[in-house]
Amino acid sequence: MLTRRDFVQAAGIGAAGALTSMIGARGREHAVWSLLEPTLHAVEPGIICLASNENPVGPGKTVLDAVRTAFGPTGAQPGRYSGAASALTEEIAKQFKVKTENVVLGCGSTQILRSATHLFTAKDKPLVGTIPTYEECAGYASMMGHPVTGVALDSEFRIDLDKMANAAKGAGLIFYCNPNNPTATYVGARATREFIARVNRESPDTTILVDEAYFDYVTDPDHDTHVPIAIENPRVLVARTFSKAYGMAGLRMGYAIGHPDTIKKMAEWDGGGGAGSLNVLALHAGIAAIGQPPDFTANERARNTAVRDFTMKWFADRGMKPTNAQANFMFVNIGRPVKEFREACKAKGVLVARDFPPFEKTHCRLSFGTMEEMQKAVAVFGEVLGKKVTARAA
Amino acid sequence: MPLSRRGFLRIVGSREEAFSGALIAARGLEAYYAEQQAPGARSRPVLPPGVEEIRINSNENPLGPGRLALDAILGKFPEANRYPFNSSPADTNLVDAIAAKYKVKPENVVLGAGSQEILKNAVRAFTSPERHLVTAAPTFENCTNTAKKLKHGLKEIKVDANFRLDIQPMIDASPGAGLVFFNNPNNPTATVHGAKTVADFVAKVRSLAPQAVILIDEAYHDYVTDPSYESAIPLALATPNVFVARTFSKAYGMAGMRIGYAIGRAETIKPLATLKMPYNVSVFGVAAAIASLNDPQHVADERERNTKVRDFTVQALTSLGCKPTESQGNFVFVDIARPAKEFREACAKSGVMVGRDFPPFEKTHARISIGTMEEMQKAVDVFRNVLRAATTTAGGKGRF
Repeated sequence: MLTRRDFVQAAGIGAAGALTSMIGARGREHAVWSLLEPTLHAVEPGIICLASNENPVGPGKTVLDAVRTAFGPTGAQPGRYSGAASALTEEIAKQFKVKTENVVLGCGSTQILRSATHLFTAKDKPLVGTIPTYEECAGYASMMGHPVTGVALDSEFRIDLDKMANAAKGAGLIFYCNPNNPTATYVGARATREFIARVNRESPDTTILVDEAYFDYVTDPDHDTHVPIAIENPRVLVARTFSKAYGMAGLRMGYAIGHPDTIKKMAEWDGGGGAGSLNVLALHAGIAAIGQPPDFTANERARNTAVRDFTMKWFADRGMKPTNAQANFMFVNIGRPVKEFREACKAKGVLVARDFPPFEKTHCRLSFGTMEEMQKAVAVFGEVLGKKVTARAA
Repeated sequence: MPLSRRGFLRIVGSREEAFSGALIAARGLEAYYAEQQAPGARSRPVLPPGVEEIRINSNENPLGPGRLALDAILGKFPEANRYPFNSSPADTNLVDAIAAKYKVKPENVVLGAGSQEILKNAVRAFTSPERHLVTAAPTFENCTNTAKKLKHGLKEIKVDANFRLDIQPMIDASPGAGLVFFNNPNNPTATVHGAKTVADFVAKVRSLAPQAVILIDEAYHDYVTDPSYESAIPLALATPNVFVARTFSKAYGMAGMRIGYAIGRAETIKPLATLKMPYNVSVFGVAAAIASLNDPQHVADERERNTKVRDFTVQALTSLGCKPTESQGNFVFVDIARPAKEFREACAKSGVMVGRDFPPFEKTHARISIGTMEEMQKAVDVFRNVLRAATTTAGGKGRF
């Protein structure tokens, strides 16, 4: 069992003492990694941002119209505390064919991840997560002084289910990010169901938080949501966000779906509605977004898949191996420290992601922009990576 | 490419838009009704057609954000997909803008998803089962409720005979405290303490309870007209263990946007920075707040408008035989000589929504927020009827 300090050191990062305040002050996209690079700055016009797994297309007209409409006829409505949290909860429940008591909203999935970590970990009930994975839960657990157990990925950069299940014994919470950020790999629905059953059997008090942030981008045929399990099983919770396929990272809206007892505990600990943390524009945007016909996410998935295929092929053709990306980003072995690559790309107007130890000497996480952006970006990558990676196929 | 308010209205104000707005609003409202009318919930009557609700129950700014803030939001539509650290302006730029306003450094400012996040995190950070919260009764309940939920120690000090925070008993309750919550002006009683009283209070608490953190919540700062009042921000910056909470929810007219902040010495507010939720303010909120800070006239106009309507309301209530406290907020706390519940429910039947119960004064006092002049004129008519009818009821002949 590792504490966060050990976890961080195991992951190859020093200066752990400065960690807690950093995480709190800067948040997960800065978190640990801000020790290694300066504070991120606003993206200048004309810069191609492939650093934050955002949807480059945005939420679309339906959602933006709903935001505008939420101003009210005279523009006074943003002055009111919003009562729309219950309406969004109903829309989400309808979409997933669950009850409103199965749904709790959060200020991004951040609030969801924090609440779950708060409720299910303790000084004697560790958090278990892969190394690397999305850092919010580990950061929060460490801030609370709760131990964090890091589990290495398998050779294909997927969650190692055996190792994870073994580490889970006696744990409070497993953070199961699938597809996993930053490695972009996906564990099939069947294997995940078996993993959940195994953890339930071997460690009945352990809760499994399945983060489906990138759900809509998966093309693996064995793909399914774990919402049906979560609503029946108090030891399973699914986190979702409007930040990815719905293109609303700027709005801050996420949610959890789970068993009514779990949801009630989450809401009681840090409920977000009304005068809480949820803004009125995001509530109305969420209602409009989730009410769209399913071809909205299907179209976004198809758009992303085309860009993903193009970008992965570009790297593969040049002998650089990406993981099997199932998200709106990829994790690729560029055979050199990311810092160097990142700075060189930045100088040419392309932003790529921060370091992800223990792979910061070899692997880069690249989010997918539009096809046009990626065509420009690969030209920059070609220049930066140099002649020795000239396409074999070309 | 900012749009003028007129431009904005042209876009949003067309019939179709208004109709879909009504639909969404109705959907929200229906859910709200459902919630309110669920078994055990506070029920509220459905209004007859044509009667518009006057919402003076939540201390909101009835006019909302200024034109520049709305334009800023519209201007950020292309960045809805960006995280608030990638947008332009970014959330750090909002911290910079707040810091610049008070001539402090960014490390003296922590953003909250509304000041509620600041208040909750202050209780989480500074109190414990052994280190209690000192607060008032009645006051804004956020800290009180958080301490109760955590089962941390709690000392609630009833306000004084003039409904002001009762200074000496609060000082007396401070030894051993983790946090002292000082809401100035105080919600719901609307009263304020002058700058010298606050400075003396802080000095005395610090001498008796040097480990306690003092949180001065100035949510209603911009509505104060009492000349003895001054913001405690300079005091907080000069004094360890003191910080001020502020919000964009009141005079800035952005309650729905959820933006507040703490301001104080960096070492004092560091635990709040640690507990802060990442990206807690939206891209639209960041842009709107920065635009508002660059539009001091909007707040000045709002203060002037509120003062005028507050004077009217206080006068009207007084002429109805009710006794309001000395109001320094965008609301009044008034002795209506009957249970607030009875008054609230009777007003609601005519579409006028007034504040909830505020124990220990729920048998005598109502909190009424200041709406527009037009709203308050209508509301006063309703108050007149309700108070008269209730008087008749007391005589046993009323229709209610």
